[in-house]
Amino acid sequence: MNAFLTDLFISAQGWLFDRLVQPVLFALGLAGYVEMGFEGIEFVLMGILELGIAYTALRPLEAFWPAERWRNRRAVRVDVMYTLLNRLGIIPLAVFTLLAPAFMALDGWLRFHNVIPRQLEDWLPGLDTHPLASFLIYLLILDFAEYWRHRLSHTLGGWWALHGIHHSQRQMSFWTDSRNHLLDDLIAGIWFAGLSLLIGVPPGHFIGLLVTLRLVENLSHTNTRLGFGRFGDYLIVGPRYHRWHHAIDLPDGEAYRHGCNFAILLPIWDVLFGTLHLGAKLPATGIHEDSPEAMAARDDFWGQQKLGLILMWRALAPRRRRSGAT
Amino acid sequence: MTPLRLTASLALTLSLVSHGLHAETAIILNSVDESVSFVDTRSYQETGRAPVCKEPHHLMAMPDDSAVIIACAVSNELVFLDPRTGKELKRIKNISDPYQIGFSPDKTWFVANSLRLDRVDLYRAADFSLAARIPAEKTPSHMAFDKASQFVFITLQDSNEVLAVDLKTRQPAWRHPVGPTPAGIHMTPDDRYLLVGIMGADYVEVIDWRARKTITRIVTARGAHNFLPRGDGRHVFVSNRTINGSISLVDMQDLRVVERYDVPGGPDDMEIRADGKELWATARFARKVQVVNLEQKQLSHSIRVGRSPHGVSFINHAPRQ
Repeated sequence: MNAFLTDLFISAQGWLFDRLVQPVLFALGLAGYVEMGFEGIEFVLMGILELGIAYTALRPLEAFWPAERWRNRRAVRVDVMYTLLNRLGIIPLAVFTLLAPAFMALDGWLRFHNVIPRQLEDWLPGLDTHPLASFLIYLLILDFAEYWRHRLSHTLGGWWALHGIHHSQRQMSFWTDSRNHLLDDLIAGIWFAGLSLLIGVPPGHFIGLLVTLRLVENLSHTNTRLGFGRFGDYLIVGPRYHRWHHAIDLPDGEAYRHGCNFAILLPIWDVLFGTLHLGAKLPATGIHEDSPEAMAARDDFWGQQKLGLILMWRALAPRRRRSGAT
Repeated sequence: MTPLRLTASLALTLSLVSHGLHAETAIILNSVDESVSFVDTRSYQETGRAPVCKEPHHLMAMPDDSAVIIACAVSNELVFLDPRTGKELKRIKNISDPYQIGFSPDKTWFVANSLRLDRVDLYRAADFSLAARIPAEKTPSHMAFDKASQFVFITLQDSNEVLAVDLKTRQPAWRHPVGPTPAGIHMTPDDRYLLVGIMGADYVEVIDWRARKTITRIVTARGAHNFLPRGDGRHVFVSNRTINGSISLVDMQDLRVVERYDVPGGPDDMEIRADGKELWATARFARKVQVVNLEQKQLSHSIRVGRSPHGVSFINHAPRQ
């Protein structure tokens, strides 16, 4: 069965490569990108596969065991669009195209000055031949970094202006995971890929790490009453846990001024840094918009992109605006 | 050796022993899986697989066949394997981003191209100490040497050139424009011509390197990529790396294609058996090693290995000429 599925995957990859990608690359004189194109198809196919798994496993939970029942799912449509852009590789490709030259230039400059950045395996050499241990350690490090990226996106005003788009969804579903302002995606991409390069995440692990985190994020956004129990909720982030992160009304207390439950995969980070909150009820999700344009943008892709930039500008330049007004 | 490393080495050794490796084992490098596969050359079965390092690209046998060297681009190291058993012999760290590697014929220099970082590094072959780091825009890929070991010639994949580096002065000597996306490069046995696989087109460009002049093009097939001499001092195989790929046999005296074999899946690196009866090629896009029966002139075996296989080696190979 496994061999059959692998063959099927390779055949699909080969067919897409032969019919779509390779002819275009050759026609454009970009034969040097042939290998990258082939691996890019694998990335896209993994995204589709991952989406299929998420839909098959999570949609029934939303249908039969929802946290909230909705009259219709119209508000979800825009999140589906974000998800397709993300999983079909369009946003990752844009992030890669923007980031790769800068990373290469920096790495090249360091090498010419005889600096070879140290990697995890330089301290733990046995990891070279223990891929599973290496995978788990890198997952732990990246998840820790993701906790802080996420927490900062709630704490820094300019960043929250962008990240608020993700939180503006009042019908949160497993599709909501990818609902992010494009600039927020770019920043997240720099953060994740930059750290991965810095600590030397093996390229062979990269897709696996990304898929693991994305599947958990799909699950945690699912509109379902599912929780992992008294102890399980402290082990891995689930729908009940993450629903409190999206609560329209935050819990009381200074510790939760910018939000709670920032962890992506492991709740231990919220426990350690005092940002954990697990209430008994299942809260409503969303944010309290303070303008008609913000409310109008709730279900509008381009409206959200525009709104995010405007709000970020206002957040980053309050002093200038005030001094300009006087 | 740390306890963890010791345990890893023991585990790898036991794994190889239990898989019954012997002198008839082919070592295959799986770039994306970051592993090596061991294939029994008699049963055509993968007998084992072991993790090796981060993003290994290309392998080569030491000139005296005492080891197979794996170039680990992302983990900045070389891993030496026993060519008969596949057992790890040693690692050399701080070899920056090695992609393609090679020894000069006089065994003075070990050259490592960094495709990603636009750079060629010259190491002293005796102790692998760095002697020079040479800028080489853009994307230095494959390499070849002249017989006197005066020059190393390097294809620059994205600037469509061949770069000659003078090994005595350790400086770039000249650049010569070639066709789109040059990849493999091979010196003819008479030391007269450089053959360059033009991957962005369908031919091998023939350069009189002393005159720095392209003298002809040998049309092979789309994606002309890499070279392996047949061992008879006259013919060379050229892999045409596309999904419906092929391998051409080129006569280096007459400068023409004499045979062609269909080898699907993106044939890339090759190895030939000492008796000249079988040609093995890694199929980058099919996760396979393809075996061509050179007597029947057709594909005889397809062996499943890891993702993006990028190098094949066995001890019982034909001479490199």
